[in-house]
Amino acid sequence: MSNVEKIYVLNPTAQNLADVTSPGPDVGNLKGKVVGFRLDIMWRAWDTVSEVWAEAFKSAGAAKVVFWRAGGRTGSEGERMKEELHQFIQSIDVAVFGLANCGSCTGWTIHDALAAADRGLPTVAVATESFDSLAKNLARRAGRSGLRLHVLPYPLNERLEDDVRQIARQHIPLILNTMGAAVLQKAVA
Amino acid sequence: MSVPNIRDCGPEGCSIDWLSSQRQQVPSEVMEFTKFATDEGWGDGLPLVPPTELRVREFLAEGGRYPDEVIAELPPIGAECTVEKIAVNAVMAGAPGKSLPLIIAAVEAMMDSSFDLGGLNATTCPASPAIFVNGPVRNTLQIPYQHGCFGGVATPALAIGRALRLIMRNVAGQLVGETSQATFGSPARIAGILVGEWEERSPWAPLAERRGVAGSAVTVYDAMSTLNIFDNTAQNGQEFLEVIGKSLAEPGANSFSPTVPFGGIAVAINPIWAEIIGSDLPNVEDVQELIWRHASLPIEYFWPKLRAKIEESGRLKADGRVYLVKSPQDVLVMVCGGTGGLHAYGMHGWGLCRSPVTRQVIG
Repeated sequence: MSNVEKIYVLNPTAQNLADVTSPGPDVGNLKGKVVGFRLDIMWRAWDTVSEVWAEAFKSAGAAKVVFWRAGGRTGSEGERMKEELHQFIQSIDVAVFGLANCGSCTGWTIHDALAAADRGLPTVAVATESFDSLAKNLARRAGRSGLRLHVLPYPLNERLEDDVRQIARQHIPLILNTMGAAVLQKAVA
Repeated sequence: MSVPNIRDCGPEGCSIDWLSSQRQQVPSEVMEFTKFATDEGWGDGLPLVPPTELRVREFLAEGGRYPDEVIAELPPIGAECTVEKIAVNAVMAGAPGKSLPLIIAAVEAMMDSSFDLGGLNATTCPASPAIFVNGPVRNTLQIPYQHGCFGGVATPALAIGRALRLIMRNVAGQLVGETSQATFGSPARIAGILVGEWEERSPWAPLAERRGVAGSAVTVYDAMSTLNIFDNTAQNGQEFLEVIGKSLAEPGANSFSPTVPFGGIAVAINPIWAEIIGSDLPNVEDVQELIWRHASLPIEYFWPKLRAKIEESGRLKADGRVYLVKSPQDVLVMVCGGTGGLHAYGMHGWGLCRSPVTRQVIG
């Protein structure tokens, strides 16, 4: 390299320089809080997991568990989704957003989770193993590498419902830990 | 290195440096530079033109836009896509400065609210934004629309398509295995799909004009892949369209999935068959209708457990058939290709974009 003539070029990349490395606030005590699940139209297994976790959160003292189902993100439906997401985030104290289980699903799960985290909510994005690193990379490149991420096994959607329920139950203490609700693990157990 | 006396910093001359990109010292020799750039993650593996300040300024002067204009914030990174960043990447790709207005129109179209560029850049699918070009700009930029227009014909327009792909990589941050989960990918992710319409041989109005934009324009469409459709048995336009429709009705097409909210089909018809079809069906809406009708499968073809979801998606009609796309308007028809006839070209939609987007090319 030392004998090679050098020139200057302009760097072609654009970067989002901001990065929030903090995971954001812990959930702490779930008592009296409204937990919001983001669902989607793709993954029935995520519906099942959310259902199991919702019961666990209620047992742990959550005042209410609410669900929002994301649909198409373009055109007039996309505009409606944007507004619904905004309203949903306003209405909850804790965000559990999934499911990052395909490329575009991961993109939108992280997009929506970042909106909740940017509002200061305790937020967890949920991904399956195959999309864990994509989710992390997207969050980092969008400027929030600290976003909390909970990882479920992959494949998930292809499993029978009973298996999914079992996995969901096994993950209750783990998701509570990811959320920063460690105090309540005993109550759930 | 002398800088030509052109509009390199703005209309008042070069009193300040408007190029804000970091200057980086690199080897000057092309292959050495390509290795460096590829290692840095800037390239696609093919040789790159070093984007020196002089080349970038010349590109901008020819393109006629100010470098600090922000065209969009491209997902997934959300960083600003300025005219300067477009120019740097276009220079690396080997694109001419006069392509800048088309590149900008394409980027703006991709950022329309009807187009899910964020999802598309992350997806496991091999989808990419195909760009169909209408109007005089086709000839100015040598956008191919005759023989071998989807690949194979030698044209500098390849570099324009490649410029858009490098913009996705370097500005949007679409990096395979990192922010893009593409399972297989596609050759279209190297130089893109950039094809003109052979308007002069079409019996119908130009595609962009039918979509409300006359003259030079781009239509951006979420293409999954390309599918050649061959037929040498049809004896009239209706029969040829039947073959096209039936060939597109693949059960594995995204749009047949009840979990996919939208979906489209793009069909390129060769000029020989276009003339035959046009004599039978002078209204392009009838062509769309016929392709749409045949691009369907009986409900029995699908697992019974999917029936409820399919019904919910609105694609199961009273005739007991599941339609690949919801309505004939979701079938995009254009004329291009060589005069050998015999073939049509189909492109299934990715299915998460509400509709294709058409934008005027200004400049």
